[in-house]
Formats: sequence, C-alpha cells, structure tokens
Amino acid sequence: MRVDIRTKLLIVAIFSVLALAYQDPRTLGIILLLNLLTVILFRVPLHIFRGFKGFIYMYAALMVIQSFFVRDGEPLLQLGSIYLLTTDGVLYGISIMLRFFILVGSGLIILNCNTSELILALVKLRIPYEIVFMIQVGIRFIPVFMGELQNIFHGIQLRGVDLRRVYKRKVLKVYVSIFSPVIYSVLQKAEKLSILLELRGFRKSPTRTYYRDISLGKIDYVIMTLSLIITAVLVYAVRH
Amino acid sequence: MAFISLQEVSYTYNGRKEAAVKNITLNIEEGEKIALTGLNGSGKSTLAKLILGLLKPQAGNIVLDGLPLGKYSLVKIGEKIGYVVQNPSQMLFNTSVFNEIAFGLKWKGKGKDEVFHLCKKYLEFFELWHLRDELPFNLSEGQKQLVVICAVLALQPRFLILDEPTKSIDTFRKKRLKDILQEIWRLGTGIMVISHDKEFLTAYGGRRIHMVKGEVVEDAGRYQN
Ligand SMILES: Nc1ncnc2c1ncn2[C@@H]1O[C@H](COP(=O)(O)OP(=O)(O)OP(=O)(O)O)[C@@H](O)[C@H]1O
Ligand SMILES: [Mg+2]
Repeated sequence: MRVDIRTKLLIVAIFSVLALAYQDPRTLGIILLLNLLTVILFRVPLHIFRGFKGFIYMYAALMVIQSFFVRDGEPLLQLGSIYLLTTDGVLYGISIMLRFFILVGSGLIILNCNTSELILALVKLRIPYEIVFMIQVGIRFIPVFMGELQNIFHGIQLRGVDLRRVYKRKVLKVYVSIFSPVIYSVLQKAEKLSILLELRGFRKSPTRTYYRDISLGKIDYVIMTLSLIITAVLVYAVRH
Repeated sequence: MAFISLQEVSYTYNGRKEAAVKNITLNIEEGEKIALTGLNGSGKSTLAKLILGLLKPQAGNIVLDGLPLGKYSLVKIGEKIGYVVQNPSQMLFNTSVFNEIAFGLKWKGKGKDEVFHLCKKYLEFFELWHLRDELPFNLSEGQKQLVVICAVLALQPRFLILDEPTKSIDTFRKKRLKDILQEIWRLGTGIMVISHDKEFLTAYGGRRIHMVKGEVVEDAGRYQN
C-alpha cells in the first residue's frame, strides 16, 4: 500500500489538534488507540517507542506534584494534611502522558517518511521553496551536528576533563568550550553552503524540477475521507 | 604483558553489512613503534577508535595496561593514550592556539610556568609560536593539524596514536614531526602512526601492520607474534 505523504501529513495534523483539544483521559485514550493503529498500519518500527520508557517516571512525578499543589479531587494517599496523590492529580498525569504518546506517535509517522518526499509535499502545498529548503537543510544537518558535538565531548575527555567531576565553578567554562566550536562550525558551514548554492545555480530559474514525484491516488482519497469521518464521529460522540 | 592487547576483536558499524574490523588479534608492547597501513576504508581509523574506547567492539576483548578497556573512563584512557584524529579540526575547541595546547595541561594541574614552557616548546618546534593568540578555527588546514599534534604531544602520554598526521603538512614540518616522534620514542613513548605517506613511513620505520578489508594481513617488525 503506497500512501501519499500528504495523506500522512493530514492524519498527523488531525491527531495533533485532537491531542491538544481534549483533556479527558478517556477521550485521549481512544485517540491514542487510533493513533497506535495508524502507526502500525503505516509500518513504523514500534521499538522506537521503547526509547520513551524513561518518561513514565516523569509523569508519575507530575501526578504527585499536581496532587500536592492543586489539591482538587479525592485524596488517594495522604500524609497528615498533606495530599500526596489525589484522583484529579492522577487523571491529570494520565492525560498529559496520553497526549505525549499521541504526539510521539504522530512524530514517528513523519519520521518514517522519506525526507525528499516530505520536501516535495511541502512544495506542492505551495510553501515557498526557500522556506522548504531551509527545513530540508535543517533535517539534513541534525546528525552532522550531533556527531560534531560528540567528537568534541570525546576530545575534551581524552584531554583529561572528567565531565562528571567538573567543579561547579568550571562547568560553565567547559560547556562554553563544548558549544563554541560547534556554533562556530555551524556558522562556517552555513557560509560555505550559501557560496556552494550560488555556485551550483540555486534559484537561477524560477522553477525547478524534481527527480521524484508524488501523487494522490484513490487510496489516498479513501484514507483522507475516512480519517475525516472518524474524526467527525469522535468529536460528535465526545460532545454528547 | 602487552600494553594494548586485542583478542579477536570485531566491529560492524550500525546499518552496515561488512564488518569494518574483523577478528583482529594484536599485541602492542609498551614503547613500541608501529606503522599501520592499508587502503581507504580498510578499517585503520576504526581500529584506532576501538583501542581508544570511542567505539565498543561487538565481539572480542581489548585489554589496556592490564585492565579490560571497559573498566576505564574516557579520561583514564586519555591519560594513557594520546590521540590525534584523522580530521583534527574536530579536536579544536579553544579560543586561542596557546589555550588549545594549555587546555589539557591545566586540567592536569600543571603550574603556570610549566604550562607556558611546554606550550612554547612545542609551538616553537613547529615554528608556530607567532600564531599563539590566533583563533584555532581560522588557521590553515596544516596549521590546525600541527596545533592538535602539539596539544597531544605536550600532554606527554605513554602511548601516542596519530591518524594521518602528515596529511596536509609541508615537507619541512614533516621532517620535524619525524624527528620529534623519533625522540619521544627513544625516551620510551610508544607510537602508532596510521599513514599512506610512503616517504614518511620509510623514514619513521617501526613495526609494520598492514590491513585489508578489516583484517590484519601483514605484521612484521620488531616484535613478532
Ligand atoms: N561512522 C561510520 N558509519 C558507518 N560506516 C563507517 C563509519 N565510519 C567508517 N565506516 C566504514 O567502515 C569502514 C572502515 O572505515 P575506516 O574509517 O576505519 O577506514 P580507514 O582505513 O581509516 O580509511 P582511510 O584510509 O580512508 O582513512 C569503511 O568501509 C567505512 O565506509
Ligand atoms: Mg581513516
């Protein structure tokens, strides 16, 4: 099944809006279920989710913080007059967590797309090519900068700085050492890139051609219509 | 007991089919002088990174100075082995050439006078002292490379790994580099040079290890396994 990237973008947009529009954990739960179904249908490798396990603790902490400070709802766990956990706190924590996972799932759908198709979709959506190009460069350079940052980290440690044991006074200094070369090299790369672009005729003619092409097929219209219907039904059901 | 010992070490990069380093067993004694050669992509830099603990082998063991490599932090490895990467601009992160060299020395707790003396010694040796206040990023490629070499030499490690040290430096400084390597080797420092530079390697000598497609196919020199 080849689904056009614009269809995926539409679905992702719907999920993101829904995730932010609703607060009720039950509704969010249903949305997350639909989201997971979509993620599976689009064949996103699910193991990526495992990387987010650590966030669960954060949400547990959020529940406690919310219960402690807001004190709404029935207490579930209390210490004297201090509320440690309330029903509202728990619900709040669960909502935020569900919301987070819906957004992660949507992000995964996009991440799993081919970058050049994504770019092409943005162009076809009439976003100015200069802006699309900036997005493209941004995506392209993320791994480069991560690699550079890692090199500097390694370099600093191999030259004798134990990053875990740096004195408080010197932390700032070390971090300046780490980020200044990376920022400097970003600027240098940007400058080189702009020269290279001109040398290779960027924007020489008002239109450009693309090696790949994307097109909306029958299946796309079916999926888009279905998603809109499901969304409408969901919105209606929640209202009543 | 060898200083660095590799037992059937293999490493495959993420997403690659072929292993970059295949089943390498190698013993390197303290104070040994080694030349590592091989075609582009034969796994030389990967081997160096494995020895430095920057990459973790999927199979095999590496022992450094009697302890498994996994037991060391990067800082502790850096205290024993000095490393000049193939692309030295990756290693520049200070605001002046002088500070670049002083950086590691200061963190070692050396006094002001000694730091100054060592910086001056190495920069003057490569005739770079006049550049001491310049921003390292703005140097020429060869100058950057020499600054990194100076920075690592100044730390006086027990073992030194240089990945393509002669890549962009001139004939005059190449000779200087050969001379200083010879001198520190005579004083007991072990050295491993990775290079394609025939002329330089001939003058440098040492045990010759040749790699093809991730494997050691030739190992000849002072110590024979
Ligand atoms: N970061 C990386 N990710 C994936 N593959 C890599 C990476 N770095 C190196 N390789 C691959 O591993 C193999 C060995 O690379 P390595 O850099 O060790 O070669 P080399 O002997 O140092 O070559 P050169 O003489 O060009 O420096 C090559 O096939 C290379 O394409
Ligand atoms: Mg290499």
